[in-house]
Amino acid sequence: MSEKVYNIDDLQNINVEGEKYIILQIGPSHPGSGHMRLKVWLDGDIIVKVDPDIGFVHRTSEWLSERREWIKAVPIVERIMLPDTVHANLAYVLTVEKLLGIEPPPRAQYLRSLVAEINRITSHLYGIGIFGIFLGSSTVYMWAFGDREPFIDLMEMLTGARITTSYIIPGGVRWDLPNGFKERAETVLQYMERRLKDYEDIWVKNPVVQARTINVGTLKKEDAIRLGVVGPNLRASGVYYDTRKHHPYAAYSNLDFEVPTMKNGDSYDRLLIRVEEIKQSIKLIRQILKDIPEGKIIADQIYNQLNPVMKKNYEEKKRVMFPAFMIHMRPPAGEASAKVEAGRGEIFFYIKSTGDKYPYRFRWVTPSFRNLPYFTHVTVGHRLADLPTIYGSIDYFPPEADR
Amino acid sequence: MSEVRKPRDPLTGHVKALAKGFKYLVEPNRMTLDYPAETMKLPPNYRGFFTVDDKKCIGCSMCEMVCPPEAITMVPRIIGEGGKTIPAPEGEKEVKGPKRTKRPVVNWGKCIFCYFCVDVCPVDAFIPTQVHDLAFEKDSEYRPSYEDYLKPPEEPYKNSKKVISKADLKRGVSYEPAP
Repeated sequence: MSEKVYNIDDLQNINVEGEKYIILQIGPSHPGSGHMRLKVWLDGDIIVKVDPDIGFVHRTSEWLSERREWIKAVPIVERIMLPDTVHANLAYVLTVEKLLGIEPPPRAQYLRSLVAEINRITSHLYGIGIFGIFLGSSTVYMWAFGDREPFIDLMEMLTGARITTSYIIPGGVRWDLPNGFKERAETVLQYMERRLKDYEDIWVKNPVVQARTINVGTLKKEDAIRLGVVGPNLRASGVYYDTRKHHPYAAYSNLDFEVPTMKNGDSYDRLLIRVEEIKQSIKLIRQILKDIPEGKIIADQIYNQLNPVMKKNYEEKKRVMFPAFMIHMRPPAGEASAKVEAGRGEIFFYIKSTGDKYPYRFRWVTPSFRNLPYFTHVTVGHRLADLPTIYGSIDYFPPEADR
Repeated sequence: MSEVRKPRDPLTGHVKALAKGFKYLVEPNRMTLDYPAETMKLPPNYRGFFTVDDKKCIGCSMCEMVCPPEAITMVPRIIGEGGKTIPAPEGEKEVKGPKRTKRPVVNWGKCIFCYFCVDVCPVDAFIPTQVHDLAFEKDSEYRPSYEDYLKPPEEPYKNSKKVISKADLKRGVSYEPAP
Protein backbone atom coordinates (compact mmCIF):
# COMPACT_ATOMS: atom_id res chain seq x y z
CA MET A 1 0.00 0.00 0.00
CA SER A 2 1.22 3.52 -0.68
CA GLU A 3 1.63 6.00 2.14
CA LYS A 4 -0.26 8.71 0.29
CA VAL A 5 -3.96 8.60 1.02
CA TYR A 6 -6.25 8.72 -1.98
CA ASN A 7 -9.85 9.63 -1.38
CA ILE A 8 -11.95 7.65 -3.79
CA ASP A 9 -14.71 10.26 -3.97
CA ASP A 10 -12.33 12.97 -5.21
CA LEU A 11 -11.04 10.73 -7.94
CA GLN A 12 -14.29 9.71 -9.56
CA ASN A 13 -14.21 12.62 -12.02
CA ILE A 14 -10.67 12.26 -13.31
CA ASN A 15 -10.58 13.08 -16.98
CA VAL A 16 -7.20 14.68 -17.55
CA GLU A 17 -5.46 12.25 -19.81
CA GLY A 18 -1.69 12.09 -20.07
CA GLU A 19 -1.12 14.93 -17.61
CA LYS A 20 -0.80 13.69 -14.09
CA TYR A 21 -1.98 10.11 -14.31
CA ILE A 22 -1.21 7.37 -16.75
CA ILE A 23 -4.24 5.60 -18.10
CA LEU A 24 -3.69 1.90 -18.66
CA GLN A 25 -6.10 -0.30 -20.55
CA ILE A 26 -6.19 -3.88 -19.34
CA GLY A 27 -7.89 -6.11 -21.87
CA PRO A 28 -9.97 -6.12 -24.00
CA SER A 29 -9.37 -9.66 -25.22
CA HIS A 30 -9.27 -12.17 -22.44
CA PRO A 31 -6.78 -10.71 -19.95
CA GLY A 32 -7.97 -13.10 -17.26
CA SER A 33 -11.04 -15.20 -16.81
CA GLY A 34 -12.95 -13.82 -19.79
CA HIS A 35 -13.23 -10.96 -22.25
CA MET A 36 -13.28 -7.76 -20.27
CA ARG A 37 -11.77 -4.31 -20.02
CA LEU A 38 -10.33 -2.54 -17.02
CA LYS A 39 -9.35 1.10 -17.27
CA VAL A 40 -6.70 1.89 -14.67
CA TRP A 41 -5.44 5.35 -13.66
CA LEU A 42 -1.91 5.21 -12.28
CA ASP A 43 0.20 7.62 -10.30
CA GLY A 44 3.65 6.15 -10.93
CA ASP A 45 2.72 2.55 -10.31
CA ILE A 46 0.15 3.30 -7.62
CA ILE A 47 -3.44 2.69 -8.64
CA VAL A 48 -5.63 5.73 -8.07
CA LYS A 49 -8.74 4.57 -9.86
CA VAL A 50 -10.03 1.47 -11.62
CA ASP A 51 -13.03 1.51 -13.91
CA PRO A 52 -14.35 -1.91 -14.87
CA ASP A 53 -16.17 -1.47 -18.16
CA ILE A 54 -19.59 -2.81 -17.21
CA GLY A 55 -21.52 -4.11 -20.20
CA PHE A 56 -18.43 -4.82 -22.29
CA VAL A 57 -19.51 -8.42 -22.95
CA HIS A 58 -23.23 -7.89 -22.51
CA ARG A 59 -25.09 -10.77 -24.13
CA THR A 60 -28.74 -9.81 -23.68
CA SER A 61 -29.70 -12.94 -21.75
CA GLU A 62 -32.73 -11.17 -20.27
CA TRP A 63 -33.99 -9.89 -23.62
CA LEU A 64 -33.50 -13.30 -25.22
CA SER A 65 -35.37 -15.07 -22.44
CA GLU A 66 -38.32 -12.70 -22.63
CA ARG A 67 -38.90 -13.67 -26.24
CA ARG A 68 -38.86 -17.44 -25.87
CA GLU A 69 -40.94 -20.17 -24.28
CA TRP A 70 -40.22 -20.61 -20.58
CA ILE A 71 -38.23 -23.83 -20.91
CA LYS A 72 -35.87 -22.29 -23.49
CA ALA A 73 -34.34 -19.95 -20.91
CA VAL A 74 -32.62 -22.90 -19.19
CA PRO A 75 -29.76 -23.23 -21.72
CA ILE A 76 -29.48 -19.43 -21.96
CA VAL A 77 -28.87 -18.82 -18.26
CA GLU A 78 -26.43 -21.73 -18.18
CA ARG A 79 -24.30 -20.26 -20.91
CA ILE A 80 -23.87 -17.01 -19.01
CA MET A 81 -22.39 -18.72 -15.94
CA LEU A 82 -20.27 -21.38 -17.56
CA PRO A 83 -18.24 -22.57 -14.53
CA ASP A 84 -21.43 -22.53 -12.47
CA THR A 85 -24.14 -23.84 -14.77
CA VAL A 86 -26.10 -25.91 -12.29
CA HIS A 87 -26.72 -23.01 -9.95
CA ALA A 88 -28.00 -20.74 -12.71
CA ASN A 89 -30.26 -23.52 -13.92
CA LEU A 90 -31.47 -24.22 -10.37
CA ALA A 91 -32.18 -20.56 -9.57
CA TYR A 92 -34.26 -20.12 -12.72
CA VAL A 93 -36.20 -23.33 -12.20
CA LEU A 94 -36.93 -22.47 -8.55
CA THR A 95 -38.46 -19.17 -9.69
CA VAL A 96 -40.60 -20.86 -12.33
CA GLU A 97 -41.71 -23.49 -9.83
CA LYS A 98 -42.87 -20.77 -7.46
CA LEU A 99 -44.99 -19.32 -10.26
CA LEU A 100 -46.37 -22.72 -11.22
CA GLY A 101 -46.91 -23.86 -7.64
CA ILE A 102 -45.07 -27.15 -8.16
CA GLU A 103 -43.09 -28.77 -5.37
CA PRO A 104 -40.49 -31.36 -6.47
CA PRO A 105 -40.34 -34.67 -4.56
CA PRO A 106 -37.64 -35.20 -1.88
CA ARG A 107 -35.39 -37.39 -4.02
CA ALA A 108 -35.28 -34.71 -6.72
CA GLN A 109 -34.42 -32.12 -4.03
CA TYR A 110 -31.47 -34.22 -2.88
CA LEU A 111 -30.29 -34.79 -6.45
CA ARG A 112 -30.40 -31.04 -7.04
CA SER A 113 -28.27 -30.41 -3.97
CA LEU A 114 -25.89 -33.18 -5.01
CA VAL A 115 -25.20 -31.82 -8.47
CA ALA A 116 -25.03 -28.27 -7.09
CA GLU A 117 -22.32 -29.26 -4.60
CA ILE A 118 -20.31 -31.11 -7.27
CA ASN A 119 -20.59 -27.97 -9.36
CA ARG A 120 -19.51 -25.78 -6.43
CA ILE A 121 -16.28 -27.78 -6.10
CA THR A 122 -15.51 -27.44 -9.82
CA SER A 123 -16.29 -23.74 -9.63
CA HIS A 124 -13.97 -23.19 -6.65
CA LEU A 125 -11.20 -25.23 -8.30
CA TYR A 126 -11.63 -23.05 -11.37
CA GLY A 127 -11.28 -19.96 -9.19
CA ILE A 128 -8.21 -21.31 -7.40
CA GLY A 129 -6.61 -22.23 -10.72
CA ILE A 130 -7.20 -18.78 -12.19
CA PHE A 131 -5.84 -17.19 -9.02
CA GLY A 132 -2.75 -19.39 -9.43
CA ILE A 133 -2.00 -18.31 -12.97
CA PHE A 134 -2.56 -14.67 -11.99
CA LEU A 135 0.18 -14.98 -9.39
CA GLY A 136 2.39 -16.71 -11.96
CA SER A 137 2.08 -20.24 -10.67
CA SER A 138 1.19 -22.39 -13.63
CA THR A 139 1.58 -25.45 -11.38
CA VAL A 140 -1.53 -24.78 -9.35
CA TYR A 141 -3.37 -23.73 -12.49
CA MET A 142 -2.73 -27.13 -14.06
CA TRP A 143 -3.46 -28.95 -10.81
CA ALA A 144 -6.78 -27.25 -10.18
CA PHE A 145 -7.99 -27.62 -13.74
CA GLY A 146 -6.91 -31.24 -13.75
CA ASP A 147 -8.68 -31.95 -10.48
CA ARG A 148 -11.90 -30.52 -11.86
CA GLU A 149 -11.90 -33.47 -14.25
CA PRO A 150 -12.97 -36.24 -11.80
CA PHE A 151 -15.86 -34.03 -10.67
CA ILE A 152 -16.84 -33.13 -14.21
CA ASP A 153 -16.81 -36.86 -14.98
CA LEU A 154 -19.25 -37.34 -12.11
CA MET A 155 -21.49 -34.66 -13.56
CA GLU A 156 -21.23 -36.29 -16.98
CA MET A 157 -22.18 -39.67 -15.52
CA LEU A 158 -25.24 -38.22 -13.80
CA THR A 159 -26.48 -35.64 -16.31
CA GLY A 160 -25.10 -36.64 -19.72
CA ALA A 161 -23.05 -33.50 -20.29
CA ARG A 162 -19.82 -32.16 -18.86
CA ILE A 163 -20.60 -28.50 -18.23
CA THR A 164 -23.90 -27.37 -19.77
CA THR A 165 -25.97 -29.98 -18.01
CA SER A 166 -29.56 -28.60 -18.36
CA TYR A 167 -30.26 -31.17 -15.67
CA ILE A 168 -32.88 -29.41 -13.58
CA ILE A 169 -36.35 -28.92 -15.04
CA PRO A 170 -39.54 -27.55 -13.47
CA GLY A 171 -40.88 -30.30 -11.23
CA GLY A 172 -37.71 -32.31 -10.72
CA VAL A 173 -34.60 -33.52 -12.52
CA ARG A 174 -34.03 -35.36 -15.79
CA TRP A 175 -32.05 -38.44 -14.74
CA ASP A 176 -31.86 -40.60 -11.65
CA LEU A 177 -28.59 -41.71 -10.03
CA PRO A 178 -26.85 -44.19 -12.35
CA ASN A 179 -25.51 -47.51 -11.06
CA GLY A 180 -22.10 -47.28 -9.46
CA PHE A 181 -22.34 -43.53 -8.89
CA LYS A 182 -22.00 -43.69 -5.12
CA GLU A 183 -18.82 -45.80 -5.20
CA ARG A 184 -17.26 -43.60 -7.84
CA ALA A 185 -18.16 -40.44 -5.96
CA GLU A 186 -16.61 -41.81 -2.77
CA THR A 187 -13.33 -42.54 -4.58
CA VAL A 188 -13.27 -39.06 -6.08
CA LEU A 189 -13.95 -37.44 -2.71
CA GLN A 190 -11.14 -39.39 -1.03
CA TYR A 191 -8.81 -38.41 -3.86
CA MET A 192 -9.74 -34.75 -3.44
CA GLU A 193 -9.23 -34.83 0.32
CA ARG A 194 -5.73 -36.16 -0.20
CA ARG A 195 -5.04 -33.59 -2.90
CA LEU A 196 -6.15 -30.73 -0.68
CA LYS A 197 -3.23 -31.56 1.62
CA ASP A 198 -0.90 -31.33 -1.37
CA TYR A 199 -2.45 -27.99 -2.34
CA GLU A 200 -1.71 -26.76 1.15
CA ASP A 201 2.01 -27.50 0.84
CA ILE A 202 2.58 -26.30 -2.67
CA TRP A 203 0.21 -23.37 -2.82
CA VAL A 204 -1.95 -22.33 0.12
CA LYS A 205 0.82 -22.26 2.75
CA ASN A 206 3.58 -21.43 0.31
CA PRO A 207 5.51 -18.42 1.70
CA VAL A 208 5.52 -16.79 -1.75
CA VAL A 209 1.73 -16.89 -1.90
CA GLN A 210 1.40 -15.64 1.65
CA ALA A 211 3.80 -12.76 0.93
CA ARG A 212 1.83 -11.72 -2.12
CA THR A 213 -1.68 -12.05 -0.72
CA ILE A 214 -1.68 -11.22 3.00
CA ASN A 215 -2.97 -7.67 3.58
CA VAL A 216 -3.50 -7.15 -0.13
CA GLY A 217 -6.96 -5.97 -1.14
CA THR A 218 -8.46 -5.89 2.33
CA LEU A 219 -12.19 -5.25 2.59
CA LYS A 220 -13.43 -4.65 6.13
CA LYS A 221 -16.62 -6.28 7.41
CA GLU A 222 -18.59 -3.02 7.49
CA ASP A 223 -17.51 -2.07 3.98
CA ALA A 224 -18.36 -5.52 2.66
CA ILE A 225 -21.89 -5.16 3.99
CA ARG A 226 -22.19 -1.58 2.73
CA LEU A 227 -21.00 -2.44 -0.78
CA GLY A 228 -23.21 -5.50 -0.99
CA VAL A 229 -20.59 -8.06 -2.03
CA VAL A 230 -21.72 -11.68 -1.91
CA GLY A 231 -20.63 -15.24 -1.50
CA PRO A 232 -17.21 -16.48 -0.38
CA ASN A 233 -15.83 -12.94 -0.66
CA LEU A 234 -18.39 -11.67 1.84
CA ARG A 235 -17.67 -14.55 4.22
CA ALA A 236 -13.93 -13.88 3.90
CA SER A 237 -14.64 -10.44 5.38
CA GLY A 238 -16.23 -12.11 8.40
CA VAL A 239 -19.94 -11.88 7.62
CA TYR A 240 -21.85 -15.04 8.51
CA TYR A 241 -24.25 -15.23 5.61
CA ASP A 242 -24.97 -18.10 3.27
CA THR A 243 -28.18 -18.45 1.28
CA ARG A 244 -28.08 -22.20 1.78
CA LYS A 245 -28.28 -21.65 5.54
CA HIS A 246 -30.43 -18.55 5.82
CA HIS A 247 -32.93 -19.13 3.00
CA PRO A 248 -32.71 -22.89 2.41
CA TYR A 249 -33.72 -24.32 -0.94
CA ALA A 250 -33.45 -27.82 -2.45
CA ALA A 251 -32.44 -30.24 0.34
CA TYR A 252 -30.25 -27.88 2.36
CA SER A 253 -32.68 -27.54 5.26
CA ASN A 254 -32.18 -31.28 5.96
CA LEU A 255 -28.41 -31.22 5.65
CA ASP A 256 -25.86 -30.47 8.28
CA PHE A 257 -22.97 -28.24 7.23
CA GLU A 258 -20.94 -25.33 8.48
CA VAL A 259 -20.52 -21.92 6.93
CA PRO A 260 -16.83 -21.08 7.20
CA THR A 261 -15.98 -17.43 7.80
CA MET A 262 -12.66 -15.58 8.01
CA LYS A 263 -11.73 -12.37 9.81
CA ASN A 264 -9.39 -10.22 7.79
CA GLY A 265 -11.02 -10.00 4.38
CA ASP A 266 -7.77 -9.85 2.41
CA SER A 267 -6.82 -11.80 -0.68
CA TYR A 268 -5.35 -14.61 1.40
CA ASP A 269 -8.62 -15.06 3.30
CA ARG A 270 -10.51 -15.18 0.04
CA LEU A 271 -8.25 -18.03 -1.06
CA LEU A 272 -8.60 -19.89 2.25
CA ILE A 273 -12.38 -19.61 2.29
CA ARG A 274 -12.59 -21.42 -1.06
CA VAL A 275 -10.45 -24.27 0.23
CA GLU A 276 -12.64 -24.50 3.35
CA GLU A 277 -15.81 -24.51 1.24
CA ILE A 278 -14.49 -27.38 -0.87
CA LYS A 279 -14.10 -29.33 2.37
CA GLN A 280 -17.68 -28.52 3.36
CA SER A 281 -18.95 -29.54 -0.09
CA ILE A 282 -17.15 -32.88 0.21
CA LYS A 283 -18.89 -33.38 3.55
CA LEU A 284 -22.24 -32.43 2.00
CA ILE A 285 -21.88 -34.83 -0.95
CA ARG A 286 -21.15 -37.72 1.43
CA GLN A 287 -24.17 -36.80 3.50
CA ILE A 288 -26.48 -36.52 0.48
CA LEU A 289 -25.40 -39.88 -0.92
CA LYS A 290 -25.99 -41.46 2.48
CA ASP A 291 -29.36 -39.86 3.23
CA ILE A 292 -30.91 -39.70 -0.23
CA PRO A 293 -34.49 -40.99 0.02
CA GLU A 294 -36.10 -43.37 -2.45
CA GLY A 295 -39.01 -42.26 -4.59
CA LYS A 296 -39.93 -40.32 -7.67
CA ILE A 297 -37.61 -37.76 -9.22
CA ILE A 298 -40.38 -35.73 -10.82
CA ALA A 299 -43.45 -34.08 -9.32
CA ASP A 300 -46.80 -35.82 -9.77
CA GLN A 301 -48.22 -32.89 -11.77
CA ILE A 302 -45.60 -33.54 -14.47
CA TYR A 303 -45.54 -37.33 -14.14
CA ASN A 304 -49.29 -37.64 -14.70
CA GLN A 305 -48.96 -35.89 -18.04
CA LEU A 306 -46.43 -38.36 -19.44
CA ASN A 307 -47.76 -40.64 -22.15
CA PRO A 308 -47.33 -44.47 -21.94
CA VAL A 309 -44.10 -44.44 -24.01
CA MET A 310 -42.60 -41.86 -21.66
CA LYS A 311 -43.79 -43.67 -18.55
CA LYS A 312 -42.17 -46.86 -19.83
CA ASN A 313 -38.92 -44.97 -20.34
CA TYR A 314 -39.19 -43.56 -16.84
CA GLU A 315 -39.64 -46.99 -15.27
CA GLU A 316 -36.93 -48.72 -17.32
CA LYS A 317 -34.21 -46.13 -17.80
CA LYS A 318 -34.97 -43.76 -14.90
CA ARG A 319 -35.19 -41.01 -17.46
CA VAL A 320 -37.75 -38.21 -17.32
CA MET A 321 -39.09 -37.19 -20.70
CA PHE A 322 -40.94 -33.93 -21.30
CA PRO A 323 -44.71 -33.82 -21.62
CA ALA A 324 -46.10 -31.21 -24.03
CA PHE A 325 -46.64 -29.06 -20.93
CA MET A 326 -42.92 -28.18 -21.02
CA ILE A 327 -43.40 -26.33 -24.32
CA HIS A 328 -46.82 -24.85 -23.67
CA MET A 329 -46.17 -23.91 -20.06
CA ARG A 330 -48.04 -20.73 -19.11
CA PRO A 331 -47.45 -19.95 -15.44
CA PRO A 332 -50.31 -17.98 -13.90
CA ALA A 333 -49.94 -14.21 -13.77
CA GLY A 334 -47.83 -13.01 -10.89
CA GLU A 335 -44.33 -12.33 -9.69
CA ALA A 336 -41.75 -14.63 -8.15
CA SER A 337 -38.18 -14.41 -7.00
CA ALA A 338 -35.62 -16.92 -5.85
CA LYS A 339 -32.13 -16.88 -4.40
CA VAL A 340 -29.44 -19.52 -4.79
CA GLU A 341 -25.93 -19.66 -3.36
CA ALA A 342 -23.73 -20.26 -6.39
CA GLY A 343 -19.99 -20.87 -6.31
CA ARG A 344 -19.22 -17.17 -6.57
CA GLY A 345 -22.09 -15.93 -4.44
CA GLU A 346 -25.78 -15.32 -4.48
CA ILE A 347 -27.84 -15.40 -7.67
CA PHE A 348 -31.08 -13.48 -7.50
CA PHE A 349 -33.93 -14.09 -9.94
CA TYR A 350 -37.06 -12.02 -10.44
CA ILE A 351 -39.62 -13.03 -13.03
CA LYS A 352 -42.99 -11.50 -13.79
CA SER A 353 -45.55 -13.55 -15.63
CA THR A 354 -48.71 -12.30 -17.30
CA GLY A 355 -49.96 -15.81 -17.96
CA ASP A 356 -48.46 -15.71 -21.45
CA LYS A 357 -46.22 -18.26 -23.12
CA TYR A 358 -43.20 -15.98 -22.67
CA PRO A 359 -42.00 -14.36 -19.41
CA TYR A 360 -43.11 -10.72 -19.24
CA ARG A 361 -40.10 -9.53 -17.28
CA PHE A 362 -36.98 -11.59 -16.75
CA ARG A 363 -34.44 -10.11 -14.38
CA TRP A 364 -31.47 -11.71 -12.73
CA VAL A 365 -28.45 -10.50 -10.81
CA THR A 366 -25.32 -12.59 -10.87
CA PRO A 367 -22.70 -12.79 -8.11
CA SER A 368 -19.80 -11.46 -10.20
CA PHE A 369 -21.74 -8.28 -10.87
CA ARG A 370 -22.22 -7.75 -7.16
CA ASN A 371 -18.52 -8.34 -6.55
CA LEU A 372 -17.52 -5.52 -8.92
CA PRO A 373 -17.00 -2.98 -6.06
CA TYR A 374 -13.74 -4.81 -5.35
CA PHE A 375 -12.25 -3.24 -8.45
CA THR A 376 -13.34 0.30 -7.67
CA HIS A 377 -12.89 0.35 -3.89
CA VAL A 378 -10.27 -2.19 -2.87
CA THR A 379 -7.59 -1.64 -5.48
CA VAL A 380 -7.06 2.08 -4.78
CA GLY A 381 -3.65 2.75 -3.24
CA HIS A 382 -2.17 -0.60 -4.21
CA ARG A 383 0.64 -1.06 -6.68
CA LEU A 384 -0.26 -2.18 -10.20
CA ALA A 385 1.43 -5.54 -9.54
CA ASP A 386 -1.21 -6.22 -6.88
CA LEU A 387 -4.11 -5.81 -9.30
CA PRO A 388 -3.87 -9.40 -10.63
CA THR A 389 -3.80 -10.64 -7.03
CA ILE A 390 -7.02 -8.82 -6.21
CA TYR A 391 -8.66 -9.78 -9.49
CA GLY A 392 -7.71 -13.43 -9.02
CA SER A 393 -8.77 -13.55 -5.40
CA ILE A 394 -12.34 -12.34 -6.00
CA ASP A 395 -12.91 -15.10 -8.58
CA TYR A 396 -14.39 -12.64 -11.07
CA PHE A 397 -16.00 -14.02 -14.22
CA PRO A 398 -16.72 -11.17 -16.67
CA PRO A 399 -19.40 -12.79 -18.92
CA GLU A 400 -21.34 -13.61 -15.79
CA ALA A 401 -21.16 -10.04 -14.50
CA ASP A 402 -22.42 -8.55 -17.76
CA ARG A 403 -25.04 -11.23 -18.45
CA MET B 1 -9.97 -20.34 11.63
CA SER B 2 -6.89 -18.54 12.97
CA GLU B 3 -4.78 -21.71 12.88
CA VAL B 4 -5.50 -22.08 9.16
CA ARG B 5 -4.28 -18.59 8.47
CA LYS B 6 -1.13 -18.64 10.57
CA PRO B 7 1.84 -17.83 8.30
CA ARG B 8 4.20 -20.70 7.91
CA ASP B 9 7.83 -20.22 8.83
CA PRO B 10 9.46 -19.29 5.48
CA LEU B 11 12.16 -21.96 5.58
CA THR B 12 9.73 -24.79 6.37
CA GLY B 13 7.29 -23.43 3.84
CA HIS B 14 9.78 -23.30 0.98
CA VAL B 15 11.21 -26.71 1.84
CA LYS B 16 7.76 -28.30 2.00
CA ALA B 17 6.67 -26.73 -1.29
CA LEU B 18 9.88 -27.80 -3.04
CA ALA B 19 9.64 -31.29 -1.57
CA LYS B 20 6.07 -31.65 -2.81
CA GLY B 21 7.08 -30.34 -6.23
CA PHE B 22 9.95 -32.80 -6.38
CA LYS B 23 7.65 -35.65 -5.39
CA TYR B 24 5.36 -34.88 -8.30
CA LEU B 25 8.34 -34.42 -10.63
CA VAL B 26 9.46 -37.97 -9.91
CA GLU B 27 5.98 -39.43 -9.70
CA PRO B 28 3.67 -37.30 -11.85
CA ASN B 29 -0.08 -37.36 -11.42
CA ARG B 30 -1.01 -37.54 -15.09
CA MET B 31 -4.58 -38.07 -16.16
CA THR B 32 -3.95 -37.51 -19.87
CA LEU B 33 -6.00 -39.34 -22.49
CA ASP B 34 -3.88 -40.09 -25.55
CA TYR B 35 -6.50 -38.83 -28.02
CA PRO B 36 -7.02 -39.92 -30.82
CA ALA B 37 -4.98 -43.10 -30.28
CA GLU B 38 -7.33 -43.74 -27.37
CA THR B 39 -10.95 -42.63 -27.37
CA MET B 40 -13.49 -42.72 -24.61
CA LYS B 41 -16.50 -44.96 -24.41
CA LEU B 42 -18.96 -42.55 -22.88
CA PRO B 43 -21.78 -43.25 -20.41
CA PRO B 44 -25.07 -44.37 -22.02
CA ASN B 45 -26.84 -41.12 -21.22
CA TYR B 46 -24.12 -38.96 -22.79
CA ARG B 47 -25.64 -36.44 -25.16
CA GLY B 48 -24.00 -36.78 -28.56
CA PHE B 49 -25.11 -36.53 -32.18
CA PHE B 50 -28.50 -38.07 -32.80
CA THR B 51 -30.64 -39.12 -35.70
CA VAL B 52 -34.31 -39.89 -36.14
CA ASP B 53 -36.17 -43.12 -36.79
CA ASP B 54 -38.15 -42.41 -39.96
CA LYS B 55 -40.60 -45.22 -39.22
CA LYS B 56 -41.41 -44.06 -35.70
CA CYS B 57 -41.64 -40.31 -36.33
CA ILE B 58 -45.20 -38.97 -36.62
CA GLY B 59 -44.25 -35.48 -37.81
CA CYS B 60 -45.82 -33.65 -34.86
CA SER B 61 -43.23 -30.81 -34.78
CA MET B 62 -42.85 -30.88 -30.99
CA CYS B 63 -39.07 -31.11 -31.33
CA GLU B 64 -39.06 -28.03 -33.53
CA MET B 65 -41.14 -26.14 -30.98
CA VAL B 66 -38.97 -27.02 -27.96
CA CYS B 67 -35.55 -26.48 -29.60
CA PRO B 68 -33.89 -23.58 -27.69
CA PRO B 69 -31.49 -22.47 -30.47
CA GLU B 70 -34.09 -23.18 -33.18
CA ALA B 71 -31.77 -25.66 -34.86
CA ILE B 72 -34.52 -28.05 -35.95
CA THR B 73 -36.48 -27.45 -39.16
CA MET B 74 -39.35 -29.60 -40.28
CA VAL B 75 -39.03 -30.62 -43.94
CA PRO B 76 -42.07 -31.72 -45.98
CA ARG B 77 -42.14 -35.40 -46.88
CA ILE B 78 -44.54 -37.67 -48.69
CA ILE B 79 -44.74 -41.15 -47.27
CA GLY B 80 -46.38 -44.27 -48.66
CA GLU B 81 -45.90 -43.37 -52.34
CA GLY B 82 -48.09 -44.72 -55.13
CA GLY B 83 -50.66 -46.24 -52.82
CA LYS B 84 -48.23 -48.96 -51.83
CA THR B 85 -48.18 -50.15 -48.26
CA ILE B 86 -44.94 -49.36 -46.53
CA PRO B 87 -43.78 -51.80 -43.86
CA ALA B 88 -44.27 -50.51 -40.35
CA PRO B 89 -42.62 -51.65 -37.11
CA GLU B 90 -44.29 -54.47 -35.29
CA GLY B 91 -47.45 -53.62 -33.44
CA GLU B 92 -47.96 -50.32 -35.27
CA LYS B 93 -50.39 -49.27 -37.97
CA GLU B 94 -49.33 -49.60 -41.59
CA VAL B 95 -49.42 -46.45 -43.67
CA LYS B 96 -51.31 -46.75 -46.95
CA GLY B 97 -51.25 -44.41 -49.88
CA PRO B 98 -49.38 -41.14 -50.29
CA LYS B 99 -49.57 -38.93 -47.24
CA ARG B 100 -48.09 -35.52 -46.60
CA THR B 101 -46.12 -35.21 -43.43
CA LYS B 102 -43.06 -33.54 -41.95
CA ARG B 103 -39.76 -34.76 -40.62
CA PRO B 104 -37.12 -32.99 -38.47
CA VAL B 105 -33.64 -32.06 -39.69
CA VAL B 106 -31.02 -30.69 -37.29
CA ASN B 107 -28.64 -27.91 -38.20
CA TRP B 108 -25.48 -29.05 -36.41
CA GLY B 109 -24.04 -25.56 -36.52
CA LYS B 110 -26.78 -24.41 -34.16
CA CYS B 111 -27.46 -27.50 -32.05
CA ILE B 112 -26.39 -27.21 -28.38
CA PHE B 113 -27.03 -30.89 -27.48
CA CYS B 114 -29.47 -30.13 -24.69
CA TYR B 115 -31.61 -33.11 -25.80
CA PHE B 116 -34.88 -31.28 -25.13
CA CYS B 117 -36.08 -32.57 -28.53
CA VAL B 118 -35.11 -36.15 -27.72
CA ASP B 119 -36.98 -35.93 -24.42
CA VAL B 120 -40.09 -34.17 -25.73
CA CYS B 121 -40.72 -36.67 -28.55
CA PRO B 122 -44.05 -38.39 -27.73
CA VAL B 123 -43.06 -41.58 -29.59
CA ASP B 124 -39.37 -41.58 -28.59
CA ALA B 125 -38.35 -41.51 -32.27
CA PHE B 126 -34.89 -39.99 -31.88
CA ILE B 127 -31.91 -42.33 -31.79
CA PRO B 128 -29.24 -40.88 -29.52
CA THR B 129 -25.58 -41.83 -29.92
CA GLN B 130 -22.48 -41.03 -27.91
CA VAL B 131 -20.56 -39.70 -30.92
CA HIS B 132 -19.44 -36.20 -30.04
CA ASP B 133 -16.25 -35.46 -31.96
CA LEU B 134 -17.34 -35.00 -35.56
CA ALA B 135 -15.75 -32.31 -37.69
CA PHE B 136 -17.36 -30.79 -40.77
CA GLU B 137 -15.45 -29.70 -43.84
CA LYS B 138 -18.20 -28.03 -45.81
CA ASP B 139 -20.97 -25.69 -44.81
CA SER B 140 -23.51 -28.06 -46.38
CA GLU B 141 -22.46 -30.79 -43.96
CA TYR B 142 -23.59 -28.66 -41.05
CA ARG B 143 -27.04 -28.46 -42.55
CA PRO B 144 -27.69 -31.96 -43.84
CA SER B 145 -30.54 -32.88 -46.13
CA TYR B 146 -33.13 -35.20 -44.61
CA GLU B 147 -31.59 -38.23 -46.37
CA ASP B 148 -28.14 -37.39 -44.99
CA TYR B 149 -29.56 -36.70 -41.57
CA LEU B 150 -31.09 -40.18 -41.40
CA LYS B 151 -27.67 -41.84 -41.69
CA PRO B 152 -26.33 -42.64 -38.23
CA PRO B 153 -23.33 -40.46 -37.35
CA GLU B 154 -20.07 -42.21 -38.10
CA GLU B 155 -17.58 -42.32 -35.32
CA PRO B 156 -14.18 -40.88 -36.25
CA TYR B 157 -11.04 -42.82 -35.29
CA LYS B 158 -12.74 -46.19 -35.48
CA ASN B 159 -9.47 -48.07 -35.03
CA SER B 160 -8.53 -46.26 -31.86
CA LYS B 161 -8.29 -48.05 -28.56
CA LYS B 162 -11.57 -47.77 -26.63
CA VAL B 163 -11.18 -46.82 -22.99
CA ILE B 164 -13.52 -45.98 -20.15
CA SER B 165 -12.71 -43.43 -17.49
CA LYS B 166 -12.58 -44.65 -13.94
CA ALA B 167 -12.23 -42.82 -10.65
CA ASP B 168 -8.79 -43.50 -9.25
CA LEU B 169 -7.64 -42.90 -5.71
CA LYS B 170 -4.13 -42.04 -6.80
CA ARG B 171 -4.60 -40.20 -10.07
CA GLY B 172 -8.16 -38.87 -9.92
CA VAL B 173 -9.09 -40.26 -13.31
CA SER B 174 -7.57 -43.32 -14.92
CA TYR B 175 -8.44 -45.01 -18.18
CA GLU B 176 -8.80 -48.71 -18.68
CA PRO B 177 -9.77 -50.75 -21.77
CA ALA B 178 -13.50 -50.81 -22.36
CA PRO B 179 -15.18 -54.16 -21.75
